[in-house]
Amino acid sequence: MARQRAQRAKAAEAPRETFKSMSPSEFFYHYKEIAGFDNPTKALYQAVRELVENALDATDVHGIFPDIFVSIEAVDREESFYRITVEDNGIGIPPNNVPSAFGRVFFSSKYKLRQARGRFGLGAKAVIIYAQATTGRPIEVYTAPIGSRRVYYFKLKIDIQRNEPLVLARGEFENPSGWHGTRVSITIKGDWSRARHRIYTYFQRTAIAAPYANIVFVDPDGNVVVYRRTLNKLPPKPREVKPHPHGVDAEMLKQLISRSNAKTMLEFMVETFQGVGKKTAEAFLEYAGIPKDLDPHRLSERDIVRLVSKMREFRKFRPPSADALSPLGPEVIETGLRSILKPEFVVAVTRRPKVYEGHPFIVEVGIAYGGEIPPQEEPMLLRYANKIPLLYDERADVAWKVLHSFDWKTYMVTFPAPIAVLTHIASTKVPYKAAGKESVAEAPEIEQELRNALREAARKLREYLLKKKREEEAKRRIVTFMKYTPEVAKSLAVILKSYGVKESDIREMLLTAMKKRLGLPEEEFAKLVEGLEVSVEE
Amino acid sequence: MAESYIDQADKEARKRALEVFRQRFREVLEQIRRGENPFLMLPKRTLSNTIYDERRKLLLLGPEKLKRSFFDLHEAKKFMQTLLMARIIFEALERDEYPTIRDLYYRGKHTIVYREPGGRRHEENTWDEQRESDAVIRDIEVLTGLLREEMLILSKEKGKVVGDMRIRSGGDVIDLSKMGHGAYAIEPTPDLIEFLDVNAEYVLVVEKDAVFQQLHRIKYWRQHKAILITSAGQPDRATRRFVRRLNEELGLPVYILTDADPYGWYIYSVFKIGSITLSYESERLATPQARFIGVSMTDIFGDPKSGKKPYLTEQERRNYIIKAKDADIKRAYELMNYLWFQTPKWKREIEIFLDKKAKLEIEALTSKGLRFLADKYLPEKIETGDWIE
Repeated sequence: MARQRAQRAKAAEAPRETFKSMSPSEFFYHYKEIAGFDNPTKALYQAVRELVENALDATDVHGIFPDIFVSIEAVDREESFYRITVEDNGIGIPPNNVPSAFGRVFFSSKYKLRQARGRFGLGAKAVIIYAQATTGRPIEVYTAPIGSRRVYYFKLKIDIQRNEPLVLARGEFENPSGWHGTRVSITIKGDWSRARHRIYTYFQRTAIAAPYANIVFVDPDGNVVVYRRTLNKLPPKPREVKPHPHGVDAEMLKQLISRSNAKTMLEFMVETFQGVGKKTAEAFLEYAGIPKDLDPHRLSERDIVRLVSKMREFRKFRPPSADALSPLGPEVIETGLRSILKPEFVVAVTRRPKVYEGHPFIVEVGIAYGGEIPPQEEPMLLRYANKIPLLYDERADVAWKVLHSFDWKTYMVTFPAPIAVLTHIASTKVPYKAAGKESVAEAPEIEQELRNALREAARKLREYLLKKKREEEAKRRIVTFMKYTPEVAKSLAVILKSYGVKESDIREMLLTAMKKRLGLPEEEFAKLVEGLEVSVEE
Repeated sequence: MAESYIDQADKEARKRALEVFRQRFREVLEQIRRGENPFLMLPKRTLSNTIYDERRKLLLLGPEKLKRSFFDLHEAKKFMQTLLMARIIFEALERDEYPTIRDLYYRGKHTIVYREPGGRRHEENTWDEQRESDAVIRDIEVLTGLLREEMLILSKEKGKVVGDMRIRSGGDVIDLSKMGHGAYAIEPTPDLIEFLDVNAEYVLVVEKDAVFQQLHRIKYWRQHKAILITSAGQPDRATRRFVRRLNEELGLPVYILTDADPYGWYIYSVFKIGSITLSYESERLATPQARFIGVSMTDIFGDPKSGKKPYLTEQERRNYIIKAKDADIKRAYELMNYLWFQTPKWKREIEIFLDKKAKLEIEALTSKGLRFLADKYLPEKIETGDWIE
């Protein structure tokens, strides 16, 4: 603990003193733990995760059913060097962008206001930096954009000091089959035996949230795991949206201004932000006391800070748009939970978009109950944020807090119970606790929504459990009556044989009377007694 | 089995019982035929449904009934057990058998094997312990109004009798005055006994078998013209029914001799008014005229209130008296609540007991001298009417 705190303190202080002389690549080289590369175990898991998430982002977001192939090979067991290969059938990368996409930190196609799995522009680059630090080996990339007649090959490293790509080799091949997508291979130092469990969990969780994907994973021991597509439908594509005035900080505003060609503040407000029309812009500028004709580029640093706080205060902006969000949707969640956990019951809830600190978000909750889920003392929690599974730091997560303060008894769940709860937070900005993206902070709005979603889903579960209980009750009654029927019928037949009643007739009559008594429709009765056998050993 | 060996009285009893069974269960069949939930109506065999009839001085089964339905989750098994037991008894009656209650337990102990719709296989016995099947037999008794003796169900013989009388049982004439040192074991079906001739003035029932034997050896019964009986502890049904018939049919007064403690008192009470668990039989088993001859508290301590002198000297009391245990005290307080122990004489008995916290066994009197018991204590008490009724 103490050591961790010290590290964190170091990470927080160091940049202030030395950032000028340190490139982003260099920064991550020195502070790998921020990106989740603390040790060989975590690094192997983190590397797989970053590459798989890039692969998924290159496919489903663009309307392509993902076919993802992943392999981890032990290239040097003594040194614990592992080669990770990830191949997707996504949109590919235009060849001239490849060096920057892989070789420069903070160059990202995702650095926009659209929900995607990766957000920090780190992903693959952190892997490359880590590879260079541990094995010194470069990354190899094959890629072909959609419709490309050629497949492009790159072998590159990052010049860490200068935060620039270092292309070691490149090549081009014919693409007669019209393949598109990206295949990357990279060798890092890892610890498979320790990371094994987590990596398997990661694939399982990823498959739950992406039942529309085919995922094949070959591990260093040659085991192959295949998650087949069980849903032939993709979630809706997220759209790119302009930022919301409540969601920008001074740094972002400065960038927005510098990129803008607007000549006046009025123009700037209307063009840059979502949901801000001329009227709203005028009302705001008057409220903020800023002349609408002012050239935004002439705003001083202090003006910008003031503008940000005024924007935060102003209540008349339209709420942020949720168009940029891509929830999984109940169908994906239910299909995923059903095909992987094989429960007897699933339900999923997608809440309406809400806003926290100017960022739109959607909360989703899925519950899987019974079946092959083993009963446990607390619910199995499957956390997701922007479709990626979160595996570390469960107890620090807001979802854990909500689950553990939930009144399960009200919903007929008593522990140990065979229950799994999936939570998904979709947002243009998920409030992660750290860049490792493993736990979500407790924003009150998100917490409230999680609770509401959980209640909504749990109500459905309760309905199911109630129905099941009634059915079991009916079944128990039927089983009880049926198992005693032979003795009753035989006894009456023996005592009343002088009246010429047959045992089989009495049985039939008892069955008729029983159905009448239970008041069940014939079908349901037949369903409940199916497979019931009774015999008496005298 | 040769038909000729079967007693005519037994045959008649069987015919009657079989017909009662047919009538009772015909109703159940009709309910089923009508598509109803089949049920049996049974008088409740509970303490709350046990009533003390002060006029007739009997413990009787009250009017409360229990409806036992088949299609009721909590009653289904009991319903099945009742029918099963009825069938086994019915079959035994038909086959001229004399099952014991233990036989009935084994004959009806079947295993129901069933596979639930889910596929799980279960086994369940129709009943597990004899306690369960015994309770079902009692249910059949109240349901049919037939006592087990009337259904030719046997139980272990416990009671014994000697005296100057002749009876017919199973076609044989038995002289109860010619039993040697032994005694006639009272059969489980005393209603099938025929009284031929009797030369006796009263019936003396002794709780303790050992005291019975001693009195028999000195031929007390011949000298005092008594029918001597022992219940060997808590009386079984056959002994109670036999005593009742001697009293009712032959008009012989009945005297009961027990230990001087709450358990002895309760044995007397069972003879006289019936027991709580078997209250449905009281009308046939109880002997309301039975008298408690002793050993009473006033026999031990005397009674300054009535001027009665004790039979024991100070010295003898010191030797024979046993200190009452907590359980005895507790039982005495329970008896105080029973209506039939609330007569002045019984109140006085319990009062002295609780005051002295002392009890005494009958054997104390034989220790003082068998002759004392036979020639002084018993005749004197009977002559002077020193008993409790």
